[in-house]
Amino acid sequence: MNLSRLAAVVGKEFLEMRRNRLLLWTIGLPPLALTLLPPAILLAVRYLPAQEVSPEEISGFAKLVPQLTSFSTDELMELFLLRTFLTIFLLLPLVLPLTIAAHSIIGEKQLRTLEPLLSTPITTAELLLGKSLAAVAPAVVATWLAYAVFFSTMPWLVSTPQVYRALLEPTWLLAAVALSPLLSLLSVSCGVAISARVNDPRSTQSVSVLLILPVISVVAGQAVGWFLLDLRLLCVGSALVALVDAAILYAGVLLFDRETILTRWK
Amino acid sequence: MIRAEGLSKQFGGFVAARDLSFEVKPGEIFALLGPNGAGKTTTVRMLACLIGPTSGQAVVAGLQVGRQDDAIRARIGVLTETPGLYEKLSPAQNLRFFARLYGLDAARIDSQVARYLEMLGLSARRDEPVSGFSKGMRQKLAIARAMLHEPQVLFLDEPSSGLDPEAARVVREFIAELRDEGRTILLCTHNLDEADRLADRIGVIKQRMIEVGTADALRRRLYGSSLAVRLRGATDAQVAAVRALAFVSDVTRRGDELLLAMPEPARTAPDVVRELVRAGADVVSVVEERRSLEDVYLTLVDGRP
Repeated sequence: MNLSRLAAVVGKEFLEMRRNRLLLWTIGLPPLALTLLPPAILLAVRYLPAQEVSPEEISGFAKLVPQLTSFSTDELMELFLLRTFLTIFLLLPLVLPLTIAAHSIIGEKQLRTLEPLLSTPITTAELLLGKSLAAVAPAVVATWLAYAVFFSTMPWLVSTPQVYRALLEPTWLLAAVALSPLLSLLSVSCGVAISARVNDPRSTQSVSVLLILPVISVVAGQAVGWFLLDLRLLCVGSALVALVDAAILYAGVLLFDRETILTRWK
Repeated sequence: MIRAEGLSKQFGGFVAARDLSFEVKPGEIFALLGPNGAGKTTTVRMLACLIGPTSGQAVVAGLQVGRQDDAIRARIGVLTETPGLYEKLSPAQNLRFFARLYGLDAARIDSQVARYLEMLGLSARRDEPVSGFSKGMRQKLAIARAMLHEPQVLFLDEPSSGLDPEAARVVREFIAELRDEGRTILLCTHNLDEADRLADRIGVIKQRMIEVGTADALRRRLYGSSLAVRLRGATDAQVAAVRALAFVSDVTRRGDELLLAMPEPARTAPDVVRELVRAGADVVSVVEERRSLEDVYLTLVDGRP
Protein backbone atom coordinates (compact mmCIF):
# COMPACT_ATOMS: atom_id res chain seq x y z
CA MET A 1 0.00 0.00 0.00
CA ASN A 2 1.53 3.28 -1.17
CA LEU A 3 0.44 6.01 1.27
CA SER A 4 1.31 8.83 -1.09
CA ARG A 5 -1.00 7.45 -3.79
CA LEU A 6 -3.68 6.83 -1.15
CA ALA A 7 -3.39 10.47 0.01
CA ALA A 8 -3.53 11.63 -3.61
CA VAL A 9 -6.86 9.85 -4.14
CA VAL A 10 -8.30 11.23 -0.88
CA GLY A 11 -7.13 14.75 -1.76
CA LYS A 12 -8.60 14.58 -5.26
CA GLU A 13 -11.92 13.33 -3.91
CA PHE A 14 -12.09 16.23 -1.44
CA LEU A 15 -11.32 18.70 -4.23
CA GLU A 16 -14.11 17.28 -6.38
CA MET A 17 -16.52 17.29 -3.44
CA ARG A 18 -15.78 20.95 -2.72
CA ARG A 19 -16.63 21.82 -6.33
CA ASN A 20 -19.89 19.83 -6.37
CA ARG A 21 -22.51 22.05 -4.79
CA LEU A 22 -25.34 19.55 -5.16
CA LEU A 23 -23.30 16.93 -3.36
CA LEU A 24 -22.36 19.42 -0.62
CA TRP A 25 -26.04 20.19 -0.03
CA THR A 26 -26.84 16.49 -0.01
CA ILE A 27 -24.15 15.93 2.59
CA GLY A 28 -24.88 19.05 4.64
CA LEU A 29 -28.64 19.06 4.93
CA PRO A 30 -29.35 15.80 6.81
CA PRO A 31 -26.94 16.56 9.69
CA LEU A 32 -28.27 20.09 9.91
CA ALA A 33 -31.87 18.87 10.02
CA LEU A 34 -31.10 16.14 12.54
CA THR A 35 -29.15 18.57 14.75
CA LEU A 36 -31.94 21.15 14.77
CA LEU A 37 -34.72 18.64 15.30
CA PRO A 38 -34.13 17.69 19.00
CA PRO A 39 -34.08 21.30 20.28
CA ALA A 40 -37.08 22.13 18.10
CA ILE A 41 -39.08 19.18 19.42
CA LEU A 42 -38.07 19.88 23.02
CA LEU A 43 -39.25 23.47 22.68
CA ALA A 44 -42.42 22.38 20.94
CA VAL A 45 -43.21 19.87 23.67
CA ARG A 46 -42.60 22.52 26.32
CA TYR A 47 -44.49 25.46 24.83
CA LEU A 48 -47.22 23.97 22.72
CA PRO A 49 -50.33 22.57 24.35
CA ALA A 50 -49.90 18.81 24.35
CA GLN A 51 -51.60 15.75 25.61
CA GLU A 52 -50.64 14.51 29.01
CA VAL A 53 -48.23 11.59 28.78
CA SER A 54 -49.22 8.67 30.97
CA PRO A 55 -46.48 6.66 32.71
CA GLU A 56 -47.69 3.54 30.86
CA GLU A 57 -46.75 5.07 27.51
CA ILE A 58 -43.08 5.09 28.39
CA SER A 59 -43.16 2.19 30.77
CA GLY A 60 -41.09 0.04 28.42
CA PHE A 61 -38.25 2.52 28.50
CA ALA A 62 -38.54 3.13 32.26
CA LYS A 63 -38.50 -0.60 32.88
CA LEU A 64 -35.10 -0.88 31.16
CA VAL A 65 -33.52 1.87 33.27
CA PRO A 66 -34.36 1.09 36.92
CA GLN A 67 -32.04 3.81 38.23
CA LEU A 68 -34.40 6.41 36.79
CA THR A 69 -37.03 5.78 39.46
CA SER A 70 -36.56 9.28 40.83
CA PHE A 71 -37.48 10.80 37.43
CA SER A 72 -40.86 12.36 36.89
CA THR A 73 -42.92 11.21 33.91
CA ASP A 74 -42.05 14.42 32.04
CA GLU A 75 -38.35 13.93 32.72
CA LEU A 76 -38.55 10.31 31.61
CA MET A 77 -40.36 11.36 28.47
CA GLU A 78 -37.71 13.98 27.72
CA LEU A 79 -34.88 11.56 28.34
CA PHE A 80 -36.51 8.92 26.15
CA LEU A 81 -36.97 11.44 23.35
CA LEU A 82 -33.38 12.64 23.51
CA ARG A 83 -31.91 9.14 23.70
CA THR A 84 -33.94 8.26 20.63
CA PHE A 85 -32.37 11.19 18.79
CA LEU A 86 -28.91 10.13 19.88
CA THR A 87 -29.61 6.74 18.33
CA ILE A 88 -31.04 8.32 15.21
CA PHE A 89 -27.78 10.29 14.83
CA LEU A 90 -26.22 6.94 13.94
CA LEU A 91 -28.12 7.10 10.66
CA LEU A 92 -25.85 9.95 9.54
CA PRO A 93 -22.66 7.90 9.14
CA LEU A 94 -24.70 5.33 7.20
CA VAL A 95 -26.54 7.58 4.80
CA LEU A 96 -24.03 10.37 4.07
CA PRO A 97 -21.03 8.38 2.83
CA LEU A 98 -23.20 6.24 0.60
CA THR A 99 -24.15 9.33 -1.40
CA ILE A 100 -20.51 10.36 -1.64
CA ALA A 101 -19.26 6.89 -2.54
CA ALA A 102 -21.96 6.37 -5.16
CA HIS A 103 -20.97 9.60 -6.92
CA SER A 104 -17.31 8.84 -6.47
CA ILE A 105 -17.15 5.51 -8.32
CA ILE A 106 -19.99 5.99 -10.76
CA GLY A 107 -18.81 9.55 -11.42
CA GLU A 108 -15.53 8.04 -12.65
CA LYS A 109 -17.50 5.77 -14.94
CA GLN A 110 -19.61 8.60 -16.30
CA LEU A 111 -16.64 10.93 -16.90
CA ARG A 112 -14.63 8.03 -18.39
CA THR A 113 -11.77 8.87 -16.06
CA LEU A 114 -11.22 5.33 -14.88
CA GLU A 115 -9.11 4.18 -17.82
CA PRO A 116 -6.46 6.91 -17.43
CA LEU A 117 -6.60 6.34 -13.68
CA LEU A 118 -6.13 2.58 -13.98
CA SER A 119 -3.27 3.04 -16.43
CA THR A 120 -1.20 4.55 -13.60
CA PRO A 121 0.59 2.34 -11.05
CA ILE A 122 -2.29 2.70 -8.56
CA THR A 123 -3.54 -0.62 -7.15
CA THR A 124 -7.22 -1.50 -6.82
CA ALA A 125 -6.92 -1.55 -3.03
CA GLU A 126 -5.33 1.94 -2.97
CA LEU A 127 -8.03 3.32 -5.25
CA LEU A 128 -10.95 1.84 -3.32
CA LEU A 129 -9.54 2.58 0.12
CA GLY A 130 -8.75 6.17 -0.92
CA LYS A 131 -12.27 6.68 -2.18
CA SER A 132 -13.72 5.04 0.92
CA LEU A 133 -11.71 7.22 3.32
CA ALA A 134 -12.71 10.34 1.40
CA ALA A 135 -16.36 9.36 1.77
CA VAL A 136 -16.08 8.30 5.42
CA ALA A 137 -14.30 11.40 6.71
CA PRO A 138 -16.98 14.05 5.98
CA ALA A 139 -19.72 11.74 7.26
CA VAL A 140 -17.89 11.06 10.50
CA VAL A 141 -17.10 14.74 11.01
CA ALA A 142 -20.77 15.63 10.35
CA THR A 143 -21.86 12.99 12.90
CA TRP A 144 -19.39 14.26 15.49
CA LEU A 145 -20.60 17.81 14.92
CA ALA A 146 -24.19 16.67 15.39
CA TYR A 147 -23.28 14.98 18.70
CA ALA A 148 -21.20 18.02 19.78
CA VAL A 149 -23.98 20.48 19.02
CA PHE A 150 -26.46 18.23 20.77
CA PHE A 151 -24.47 17.88 23.98
CA SER A 152 -23.41 21.53 24.08
CA THR A 153 -26.96 22.91 23.67
CA MET A 154 -28.85 20.46 25.84
CA PRO A 155 -27.90 21.97 29.25
CA TRP A 156 -29.99 24.98 28.26
CA LEU A 157 -32.84 23.05 26.72
CA VAL A 158 -33.59 20.14 29.07
CA SER A 159 -36.13 20.78 31.83
CA THR A 160 -33.91 19.63 34.72
CA PRO A 161 -30.13 19.09 35.18
CA GLN A 162 -30.69 15.43 36.08
CA VAL A 163 -32.04 14.74 32.58
CA TYR A 164 -28.79 16.11 31.13
CA ARG A 165 -26.70 14.13 33.60
CA ALA A 166 -28.56 10.97 32.57
CA LEU A 167 -27.70 11.68 28.97
CA LEU A 168 -23.97 11.91 29.68
CA GLU A 169 -23.12 8.26 29.27
CA PRO A 170 -19.95 6.71 27.80
CA THR A 171 -22.28 4.87 25.41
CA TRP A 172 -22.60 7.98 23.23
CA LEU A 173 -18.89 8.69 23.28
CA LEU A 174 -18.29 5.17 21.99
CA ALA A 175 -21.11 5.60 19.46
CA ALA A 176 -19.49 8.76 18.12
CA VAL A 177 -15.84 7.70 18.24
CA ALA A 178 -16.03 4.02 17.29
CA LEU A 179 -19.39 3.01 15.91
CA SER A 180 -19.89 6.03 13.62
CA PRO A 181 -16.68 5.49 11.62
CA LEU A 182 -17.38 1.76 11.45
CA LEU A 183 -20.92 2.34 10.21
CA SER A 184 -19.56 4.82 7.66
CA LEU A 185 -17.08 2.29 6.44
CA LEU A 186 -19.86 -0.30 6.19
CA SER A 187 -21.94 2.04 4.11
CA VAL A 188 -19.03 2.99 1.84
CA SER A 189 -17.85 -0.59 1.37
CA CYS A 190 -21.35 -1.57 0.30
CA GLY A 191 -21.55 1.48 -1.97
CA VAL A 192 -18.19 0.73 -3.57
CA ALA A 193 -18.97 -2.95 -4.05
CA ILE A 194 -22.35 -2.23 -5.59
CA SER A 195 -21.27 0.72 -7.73
CA ALA A 196 -18.55 -1.44 -9.25
CA ARG A 197 -21.39 -3.45 -10.77
CA VAL A 198 -24.01 -0.82 -11.67
CA ASN A 199 -24.04 2.38 -13.73
CA ASP A 200 -26.48 4.59 -11.86
CA PRO A 201 -25.79 6.26 -8.48
CA ARG A 202 -29.46 5.79 -7.57
CA SER A 203 -29.07 2.01 -7.68
CA THR A 204 -26.31 2.28 -5.10
CA GLN A 205 -28.23 4.71 -2.92
CA SER A 206 -31.23 2.41 -2.82
CA VAL A 207 -29.10 0.09 -0.72
CA SER A 208 -29.23 2.68 2.05
CA VAL A 209 -32.77 1.51 2.73
CA LEU A 210 -31.35 -1.85 3.75
CA LEU A 211 -28.45 -0.40 5.70
CA ILE A 212 -30.56 1.84 7.93
CA LEU A 213 -32.77 -1.06 8.99
CA PRO A 214 -30.54 -2.17 11.91
CA VAL A 215 -30.44 1.37 13.34
CA ILE A 216 -34.20 1.76 12.92
CA SER A 217 -34.62 -1.61 14.65
CA VAL A 218 -32.57 -0.34 17.61
CA VAL A 219 -34.78 2.77 17.83
CA ALA A 220 -37.92 0.65 17.64
CA GLY A 221 -36.55 -1.94 20.08
CA GLN A 222 -35.88 0.74 22.66
CA ALA A 223 -39.30 2.29 22.11
CA VAL A 224 -41.15 -0.93 22.84
CA GLY A 225 -38.86 -1.79 25.71
CA TRP A 226 -37.17 -4.82 24.21
CA PHE A 227 -33.66 -3.57 24.92
CA LEU A 228 -31.62 -0.48 25.63
CA LEU A 229 -28.62 0.63 23.62
CA ASP A 230 -26.09 0.48 26.42
CA LEU A 231 -22.31 0.25 26.49
CA ARG A 232 -22.25 -3.55 26.30
CA LEU A 233 -24.62 -3.75 23.35
CA LEU A 234 -22.71 -0.97 21.61
CA CYS A 235 -19.38 -2.78 22.08
CA VAL A 236 -20.81 -5.99 20.65
CA GLY A 237 -22.44 -4.07 17.80
CA SER A 238 -19.21 -2.22 17.00
CA ALA A 239 -17.19 -5.44 16.90
CA LEU A 240 -19.79 -7.03 14.63
CA VAL A 241 -19.81 -4.05 12.26
CA ALA A 242 -15.98 -4.07 12.18
CA LEU A 243 -16.03 -7.72 11.04
CA VAL A 244 -18.66 -7.07 8.39
CA ASP A 245 -16.64 -4.01 7.23
CA ALA A 246 -13.54 -6.08 6.66
CA ALA A 247 -15.48 -8.76 4.78
CA ILE A 248 -17.28 -6.29 2.52
CA LEU A 249 -14.12 -4.25 1.82
CA TYR A 250 -12.36 -7.43 0.77
CA ALA A 251 -15.32 -8.42 -1.41
CA GLY A 252 -15.32 -4.91 -2.91
CA VAL A 253 -11.70 -5.27 -4.03
CA LEU A 254 -12.51 -8.68 -5.54
CA LEU A 255 -15.63 -7.37 -7.29
CA PHE A 256 -13.77 -4.38 -8.73
CA ASP A 257 -12.55 -6.20 -11.81
CA ARG A 258 -10.52 -3.77 -13.93
CA GLU A 259 -11.09 -5.62 -17.17
CA THR A 260 -14.86 -5.85 -16.80
CA ILE A 261 -15.04 -2.21 -15.83
CA LEU A 262 -13.02 -1.04 -18.81
CA THR A 263 -14.61 -3.22 -21.43
CA ARG A 264 -18.24 -3.41 -20.37
CA TRP A 265 -19.01 -0.02 -18.80
CA LYS A 266 -20.72 2.22 -21.37
CA MET B 1 11.06 -1.55 -26.50
CA ILE B 2 7.69 -3.19 -27.19
CA ARG B 3 7.43 -6.78 -28.38
CA ALA B 4 4.20 -8.70 -28.87
CA GLU B 5 4.22 -12.40 -29.68
CA GLY B 6 0.99 -14.12 -30.67
CA LEU B 7 -1.08 -11.73 -28.60
CA SER B 8 -4.80 -12.56 -28.68
CA LYS B 9 -7.84 -11.31 -26.84
CA GLN B 10 -11.25 -12.87 -26.80
CA PHE B 11 -14.37 -11.45 -25.11
CA GLY B 12 -16.81 -14.34 -24.81
CA GLY B 13 -17.21 -15.57 -28.37
CA PHE B 14 -15.87 -12.35 -29.92
CA VAL B 15 -12.24 -12.27 -30.99
CA ALA B 16 -10.98 -8.69 -30.63
CA ALA B 17 -7.36 -9.45 -31.49
CA ARG B 18 -5.87 -12.59 -32.96
CA ASP B 19 -2.27 -13.73 -32.86
CA LEU B 20 -0.65 -10.29 -33.06
CA SER B 21 3.12 -10.26 -33.36
CA PHE B 22 5.13 -7.12 -33.88
CA GLU B 23 7.99 -5.16 -32.43
CA VAL B 24 8.49 -1.45 -31.80
CA LYS B 25 12.12 -0.41 -31.63
CA PRO B 26 13.44 2.18 -29.16
CA GLY B 27 12.81 5.74 -30.36
CA GLU B 28 10.40 4.60 -33.06
CA ILE B 29 6.85 5.73 -33.80
CA PHE B 30 4.83 2.69 -34.76
CA ALA B 31 1.32 3.39 -36.06
CA LEU B 32 -1.44 0.83 -35.73
CA LEU B 33 -3.93 1.39 -38.55
CA GLY B 34 -7.21 -0.39 -38.80
CA PRO B 35 -10.96 0.13 -39.14
CA ASN B 36 -13.29 0.53 -36.16
CA GLY B 37 -13.35 -2.67 -34.14
CA ALA B 38 -10.08 -3.89 -35.64
CA GLY B 39 -8.57 -4.37 -32.19
CA LYS B 40 -6.32 -1.29 -31.96
CA THR B 41 -7.60 -0.13 -28.56
CA THR B 42 -7.69 -3.70 -27.28
CA THR B 43 -4.04 -4.10 -28.30
CA VAL B 44 -3.05 -0.89 -26.51
CA ARG B 45 -4.99 -1.96 -23.41
CA MET B 46 -3.23 -5.32 -23.36
CA LEU B 47 0.21 -3.74 -23.75
CA ALA B 48 -0.61 -1.08 -21.13
CA CYS B 49 -1.61 -3.85 -18.70
CA LEU B 50 -5.20 -2.64 -18.47
CA ILE B 51 -6.61 -5.95 -19.65
CA GLY B 52 -5.00 -9.34 -19.80
CA PRO B 53 -4.38 -11.18 -23.07
CA THR B 54 -6.24 -14.44 -23.63
CA SER B 55 -3.08 -15.91 -25.09
CA GLY B 56 0.35 -14.83 -26.24
CA GLN B 57 2.87 -12.68 -24.47
CA ALA B 58 4.34 -9.23 -24.61
CA VAL B 59 7.30 -7.32 -23.25
CA VAL B 60 7.10 -3.57 -22.65
CA ALA B 61 10.11 -1.53 -21.55
CA GLY B 62 11.91 -4.77 -20.78
CA LEU B 63 9.15 -6.03 -18.47
CA GLN B 64 6.79 -8.93 -18.96
CA VAL B 65 3.10 -8.07 -19.43
CA GLY B 66 0.97 -10.03 -16.98
CA ARG B 67 3.81 -10.53 -14.51
CA GLN B 68 5.17 -7.03 -13.87
CA ASP B 69 2.08 -4.96 -14.60
CA ASP B 70 2.50 -2.36 -11.83
CA ALA B 71 6.11 -1.74 -12.87
CA ILE B 72 5.09 -1.42 -16.52
CA ARG B 73 2.33 1.06 -15.68
CA ALA B 74 4.87 3.17 -13.81
CA ARG B 75 7.10 3.35 -16.90
CA ILE B 76 4.60 4.03 -19.64
CA GLY B 77 2.32 6.92 -20.55
CA VAL B 78 -1.14 6.25 -21.95
CA LEU B 79 -3.37 8.62 -23.86
CA THR B 80 -6.75 6.92 -23.82
CA GLU B 81 -9.36 7.11 -26.55
CA THR B 82 -11.35 9.72 -24.58
CA PRO B 83 -9.45 12.36 -22.57
CA GLY B 84 -11.18 11.34 -19.30
CA LEU B 85 -10.45 14.46 -17.27
CA TYR B 86 -11.93 15.56 -13.96
CA GLU B 87 -14.26 18.27 -15.21
CA LYS B 88 -14.64 20.19 -11.97
CA LEU B 89 -10.91 20.39 -11.41
CA SER B 90 -8.46 22.73 -13.12
CA PRO B 91 -5.72 21.53 -15.48
CA ALA B 92 -3.14 22.06 -12.73
CA GLN B 93 -5.21 20.03 -10.24
CA ASN B 94 -5.76 17.24 -12.79
CA LEU B 95 -2.04 17.05 -13.52
CA ARG B 96 -0.95 17.29 -9.90
CA PHE B 97 -3.19 14.35 -9.02
CA PHE B 98 -1.69 12.13 -11.69
CA ALA B 99 1.84 13.30 -10.92
CA ARG B 100 1.34 12.08 -7.35
CA LEU B 101 0.02 8.74 -8.59
CA TYR B 102 3.19 8.39 -10.66
CA GLY B 103 5.22 9.01 -7.50
CA LEU B 104 6.79 12.36 -8.37
CA ASP B 105 8.09 14.36 -5.41
CA ALA B 106 6.60 17.75 -4.54
CA ALA B 107 9.26 19.87 -6.24
CA ARG B 108 9.17 17.79 -9.41
CA ILE B 109 5.37 17.89 -9.48
CA ASP B 110 5.45 21.69 -9.60
CA SER B 111 8.11 21.84 -12.29
CA GLN B 112 6.58 19.12 -14.49
CA VAL B 113 3.06 20.53 -14.27
CA ALA B 114 4.34 24.02 -15.16
CA ARG B 115 6.53 22.62 -17.96
CA TYR B 116 3.81 20.68 -19.76
CA LEU B 117 1.12 23.32 -19.30
CA GLU B 118 3.53 25.82 -20.86
CA MET B 119 4.61 23.45 -23.62
CA LEU B 120 1.02 22.76 -24.68
CA GLY B 121 -0.14 26.38 -24.33
CA LEU B 122 -2.42 25.84 -21.34
CA SER B 123 -0.61 27.97 -18.76
CA ALA B 124 -2.96 30.93 -19.03
CA ARG B 125 -5.92 28.75 -18.03
CA ARG B 126 -4.15 26.51 -15.56
CA ASP B 127 -6.58 27.28 -12.71
CA GLU B 128 -9.89 27.25 -14.59
CA PRO B 129 -12.20 24.20 -14.40
CA VAL B 130 -11.68 21.81 -17.30
CA SER B 131 -15.46 21.78 -17.94
CA GLY B 132 -15.08 25.03 -19.92
CA PHE B 133 -12.34 23.69 -22.19
CA SER B 134 -12.58 22.93 -25.91
CA LYS B 135 -11.99 19.41 -27.19
CA GLY B 136 -8.54 20.39 -28.42
CA MET B 137 -7.52 21.79 -25.02
CA ARG B 138 -8.76 18.67 -23.29
CA GLN B 139 -6.79 16.48 -25.63
CA LYS B 140 -3.63 18.52 -25.04
CA LEU B 141 -4.18 18.24 -21.30
CA ALA B 142 -4.64 14.47 -21.59
CA ILE B 143 -1.35 14.26 -23.49
CA ALA B 144 0.37 16.34 -20.81
CA ARG B 145 -1.02 13.94 -18.21
CA ALA B 146 0.54 10.98 -20.01
CA MET B 147 3.91 12.76 -20.11
CA LEU B 148 4.27 13.98 -16.51
CA HIS B 149 6.57 11.18 -15.38
CA GLU B 150 8.66 11.33 -18.58
CA PRO B 151 7.89 7.79 -19.75
CA GLN B 152 10.11 6.25 -22.39
CA VAL B 153 7.16 4.35 -23.87
CA LEU B 154 3.96 6.08 -24.91
CA PHE B 155 0.66 4.64 -26.08
CA LEU B 156 -1.38 7.23 -27.93
CA ASP B 157 -4.89 6.14 -28.89
CA GLU B 158 -6.37 8.45 -31.54
CA PRO B 159 -4.48 11.56 -30.37
CA SER B 160 -5.97 13.95 -32.93
CA SER B 161 -9.43 12.40 -33.19
CA GLY B 162 -12.16 15.04 -33.44
CA LEU B 163 -9.77 17.96 -33.30
CA ASP B 164 -9.90 20.93 -35.65
CA PRO B 165 -6.99 21.15 -38.13
CA GLU B 166 -5.08 23.69 -36.04
CA ALA B 167 -5.34 21.69 -32.80
CA ALA B 168 -4.53 18.48 -34.68
CA ARG B 169 -1.40 20.11 -36.05
CA VAL B 170 -0.28 21.21 -32.58
CA VAL B 171 -0.77 17.64 -31.33
CA ARG B 172 1.12 16.19 -34.32
CA GLU B 173 4.01 18.61 -33.82
CA PHE B 174 4.14 17.66 -30.16
CA ILE B 175 4.26 13.95 -31.02
CA ALA B 176 7.08 14.66 -33.47
CA GLU B 177 8.96 16.47 -30.67
CA LEU B 178 8.49 13.44 -28.43
CA ARG B 179 9.97 11.21 -31.11
CA ASP B 180 12.91 13.61 -31.47
CA GLU B 181 13.49 13.22 -27.73
CA GLY B 182 13.93 9.49 -28.36
CA ARG B 183 10.68 8.18 -26.92
CA THR B 184 9.07 5.03 -28.25
CA ILE B 185 5.50 5.64 -29.36
CA LEU B 186 2.71 3.26 -30.31
CA LEU B 187 0.16 5.36 -32.14
CA CYS B 188 -3.37 4.16 -32.90
CA THR B 189 -5.03 6.26 -35.52
CA HIS B 190 -7.65 6.44 -38.22
CA ASN B 191 -5.87 9.42 -39.67
CA LEU B 192 -3.81 8.05 -42.54
CA ASP B 193 -2.12 11.36 -43.23
CA GLU B 194 -1.06 11.53 -39.59
CA ALA B 195 0.37 8.03 -39.74
CA ASP B 196 2.15 8.82 -43.02
CA ARG B 197 3.73 11.97 -41.57
CA LEU B 198 4.66 10.68 -38.14
CA ALA B 199 5.17 6.94 -38.20
CA ASP B 200 8.48 5.27 -38.89
CA ARG B 201 6.60 2.03 -39.47
CA ILE B 202 2.98 1.08 -39.84
CA GLY B 203 1.09 -2.02 -38.81
CA VAL B 204 -2.27 -2.56 -40.51
CA ILE B 205 -4.57 -4.68 -38.37
CA LYS B 206 -8.02 -6.15 -38.67
CA GLN B 207 -8.16 -8.43 -35.64
CA ARG B 208 -4.92 -9.97 -36.97
CA MET B 209 -1.83 -8.15 -38.20
CA ILE B 210 -2.20 -7.85 -41.97
CA GLU B 211 1.05 -6.12 -42.86
CA VAL B 212 3.92 -4.30 -41.15
CA GLY B 213 6.45 -1.97 -42.74
CA THR B 214 7.36 1.59 -43.56
CA ALA B 215 4.76 3.48 -45.59
CA ASP B 216 7.08 3.46 -48.61
CA ALA B 217 7.82 -0.24 -48.26
CA LEU B 218 4.10 -1.00 -48.13
CA ARG B 219 3.52 1.12 -51.24
CA ARG B 220 6.32 -0.64 -53.09
CA ARG B 221 5.16 -4.05 -52.00
CA LEU B 222 1.63 -3.43 -53.19
CA TYR B 223 2.09 -1.22 -56.19
CA GLY B 224 5.77 -1.43 -57.08
CA SER B 225 7.52 1.85 -57.84
CA SER B 226 7.04 4.04 -60.87
CA LEU B 227 8.00 7.32 -62.46
CA ALA B 228 5.47 9.69 -64.05
CA VAL B 229 6.92 11.70 -66.97
CA ARG B 230 4.89 14.45 -68.65
CA LEU B 231 5.94 15.38 -72.18
CA ARG B 232 4.84 18.03 -74.64
CA GLY B 233 3.33 15.98 -77.49
CA ALA B 234 4.51 12.46 -76.71
CA THR B 235 5.22 10.23 -79.72
CA ASP B 236 5.28 6.46 -80.18
CA ALA B 237 9.02 6.64 -80.88
CA GLN B 238 9.66 8.30 -77.54
CA VAL B 239 7.56 5.65 -75.76
CA ALA B 240 9.53 2.94 -77.52
CA ALA B 241 12.81 4.60 -76.52
CA VAL B 242 12.03 4.43 -72.77
CA ARG B 243 10.54 0.96 -73.08
CA ALA B 244 13.88 -0.18 -74.43
CA LEU B 245 15.66 0.83 -71.23
CA ALA B 246 16.73 -2.29 -69.32
CA PHE B 247 15.48 -1.18 -65.92
CA VAL B 248 11.98 -0.20 -67.18
CA SER B 249 9.63 -3.14 -66.75
CA ASP B 250 6.48 -1.54 -68.13
CA VAL B 251 5.29 1.71 -69.75
CA THR B 252 1.72 2.97 -69.63
CA ARG B 253 0.79 5.95 -71.80
CA ARG B 254 -1.93 8.30 -70.60
CA GLY B 255 -2.08 11.01 -73.28
CA ASP B 256 1.12 13.02 -72.90
CA GLU B 257 2.03 11.33 -69.62
CA LEU B 258 4.10 8.17 -69.46
CA LEU B 259 3.98 5.96 -66.37
CA LEU B 260 7.15 3.91 -66.12
CA ALA B 261 7.29 0.91 -63.78
CA MET B 262 10.84 0.56 -62.48
CA PRO B 263 12.84 -0.02 -59.29
CA GLU B 264 14.49 2.93 -57.56
CA PRO B 265 12.98 5.76 -59.64
CA ALA B 266 14.95 8.38 -57.73
CA ARG B 267 18.25 6.84 -58.90
CA THR B 268 17.32 6.06 -62.50
CA ALA B 269 15.20 9.13 -63.37
CA PRO B 270 18.17 11.03 -64.96
CA ASP B 271 18.74 8.09 -67.37
CA VAL B 272 15.08 8.20 -68.40
CA VAL B 273 15.21 11.97 -69.01
CA ARG B 274 18.44 11.64 -71.03
CA GLU B 275 16.90 8.92 -73.24
CA LEU B 276 13.73 10.93 -73.84
CA VAL B 277 15.69 14.08 -74.77
CA ARG B 278 17.81 11.99 -77.10
CA ALA B 279 14.54 10.78 -78.72
CA GLY B 280 13.55 14.44 -79.25
CA ALA B 281 11.04 14.76 -76.39
CA ASP B 282 10.21 18.00 -74.59
CA VAL B 283 10.12 16.93 -70.93
CA VAL B 284 7.67 19.03 -68.91
CA SER B 285 7.87 17.24 -65.53
CA VAL B 286 9.27 14.12 -63.90
CA VAL B 287 7.88 12.90 -60.56
CA GLU B 288 8.09 9.67 -58.65
CA GLU B 289 4.60 8.24 -58.56
CA ARG B 290 3.49 7.85 -54.97
CA ARG B 291 0.28 6.05 -54.19
CA SER B 292 -1.48 7.48 -51.17
CA LEU B 293 -1.37 5.61 -47.88
CA GLU B 294 -5.14 5.50 -48.19
CA ASP B 295 -4.75 3.32 -51.31
CA VAL B 296 -2.36 1.06 -49.42
CA TYR B 297 -4.66 0.88 -46.42
CA LEU B 298 -7.83 0.13 -48.40
CA THR B 299 -6.03 -2.50 -50.44
CA LEU B 300 -4.80 -4.22 -47.31
CA VAL B 301 -7.99 -3.93 -45.27
CA ASP B 302 -10.67 -4.38 -47.92
CA GLY B 303 -8.69 -5.94 -50.76
CA ARG B 304 -9.52 -3.01 -53.06
CA PRO B 305 -7.11 -2.52 -55.98
